[in-house]
Amino acid sequence: MTTTLQNRQSSFAKRWKSLESREGRLAWGLVLPTALIVFGLIIFPAIFSVWISFHDVGLHNLNDVFHAPFVGFDNYSKVFQDFAFKFQGMQSWGAAVTSIVYSFLATILTLVVGLIASLLLNRPFRGRGIARSIFLFPYVAPIVSVAFVWRWILDPRPSGVLNDVLMRLGLIDLPVAFLATRGLALVIAIFFEAWRYFPFAMLMILARLQAIDNTLYEAADVDGASAWQKFRFVTIPELRYVLGALFLLRLMWTFNKFDDIFLLTGGGFGTKVLPVLTYEFSFRLLDFGRGAATAMILLVILVVFMAFYVGIVMRNVDDE
Amino acid sequence: MADAQKQQTRSQGKQLNILDRTARWITLPRFIFAATLFFFLTSILFPFYWMISSSFKSRAEISGREPVYIPSEWRLDAYQALFDPESPIGRFGTNIVNSVKVAIPTALIAVILSTLGAYAVARLKFRGKDVLLNSILMVYLFPGVLLIIPLFAMLAQIGAKLGFNVQDNLAVLVVTYLATTLPVALYMLANYFRTIPAEIEQAALIDGCSRMGVIWRITLPLAVPALVSVAIYTFMIAWNEFLYALVFLNSRELFTMPIKINTIYNEPQSIPHVVMAASTLMTLPVVFLFLALERFLTEGLSAGSVKG
Repeated sequence: MTTTLQNRQSSFAKRWKSLESREGRLAWGLVLPTALIVFGLIIFPAIFSVWISFHDVGLHNLNDVFHAPFVGFDNYSKVFQDFAFKFQGMQSWGAAVTSIVYSFLATILTLVVGLIASLLLNRPFRGRGIARSIFLFPYVAPIVSVAFVWRWILDPRPSGVLNDVLMRLGLIDLPVAFLATRGLALVIAIFFEAWRYFPFAMLMILARLQAIDNTLYEAADVDGASAWQKFRFVTIPELRYVLGALFLLRLMWTFNKFDDIFLLTGGGFGTKVLPVLTYEFSFRLLDFGRGAATAMILLVILVVFMAFYVGIVMRNVDDE
Repeated sequence: MADAQKQQTRSQGKQLNILDRTARWITLPRFIFAATLFFFLTSILFPFYWMISSSFKSRAEISGREPVYIPSEWRLDAYQALFDPESPIGRFGTNIVNSVKVAIPTALIAVILSTLGAYAVARLKFRGKDVLLNSILMVYLFPGVLLIIPLFAMLAQIGAKLGFNVQDNLAVLVVTYLATTLPVALYMLANYFRTIPAEIEQAALIDGCSRMGVIWRITLPLAVPALVSVAIYTFMIAWNEFLYALVFLNSRELFTMPIKINTIYNEPQSIPHVVMAASTLMTLPVVFLFLALERFLTEGLSAGSVKG
């Protein structure tokens, strides 16, 4: 054996044994299982989904998917021409517009309700701990249960409880089919979303509220500020970042959400959002290419909005 | 006699005093506060009351000419139908077992894997850490419906090669749930580990403890609240999950509870009391689990996300 080789070997061995690289190897060893699962089952499928959206993939060639014929933008143009997708006036919004309207209104309402709830719970009162636990129920309970309970409450048959209450109060004369009336169904879906997800917003806002420096309020008191002025000029500015982050997070999740609408209305009566349309293309029509194209359109809308939001809205907040 | 009279007037005076005091206590802000609180509590609790009470109604009560607000007696018709071994909507016990079989392994594996990963992220320096963390965070961006199509195609290929079935395979569900829960679990735990002073671990390392020994003897015992909250969080995700189970499960024997409830709801003859009974059985464990361990949960939930 020559000396140079020995030298090289020993320098490699030194590097291999050095504390830093030993730590690095240990770290990768620890992260590896998580990284493999996340890359294999999230990142790779996401990329694969782009590929599928440009190919003709159906149930017939699912077992031989890598040889599926390339079809260019065919899937996309099929989606854009679909009556379930495109906007055709106020009577039929199509999935893209419905999705955007639904996500924005539901997110705003969720944040407003969450803000009110957190202000309620920020005041000391007897039973506050229990009230806080109860406030979290809608968020903790399984979506299937709560969606079906609400469907049952909103039932148009004589045994439906909301219709009965409203009729007794004299607000309506005849039972209303809440979830089977165009327009009303979307409004109900938005309220349902706020009912279910306000606790998440509430928790985040509450954590921030409790961290606000009390001297700010004392200073406002000295200046003779009213309760509303204290809210408007002390509380809201302090909550700005939380509200901004919550808006982005909730909007993203609402835009991507499939279960809520699918279980509540099945996507009928003007509530067909993009995730439900994706599901229908893929698993009812079994046209996976078209489904993947719809999902890509959904993702593009989301990414464009997020870039706009982070780039413009958040930067303006920073400037103030 | 005179004494008694005196006492009476005194107590009357006291009563007046209480009324007076409550009248003075109710100011406009307090009234608004109480009314809002009442509104919140009723709109949250009523659906849960309606779910549980409906599950104890009979078929006649459920389809009557008006809603029955309080069931006349605790009838178990709906539960009997749910566990009827003969009927296709019955045998709910199997579905409960399936949900447990999916949720508990998901929670346990997620806790173990995310503990290891989170420790590395919080304490160790390694190349590619930022890239790794950022790509893991991307998971937030991808909707489930986007991932389900390629996952389905991919797993079908792998399954055909390795000789396992993608559909009706609870292990496949566990793996996909791990993929969706691990990123959040890793972030939650890493944030918690950073709050544990590194000096304690360094002291143990100097005393000759190995890294794994440090994790096992020092970090884990200190991180119990975070571990519990990650376990509950992943358990709940797996217990409640709908879309992946809907796509991956075909046979009634292997349905998890959400899918079974969905099929019962879509039966041609409408049987809301049975749906409500199944929903009650699915909801109560989660709500009790949450109430019992709430302290850990909210800590973990808010520790991860809001800083400043």
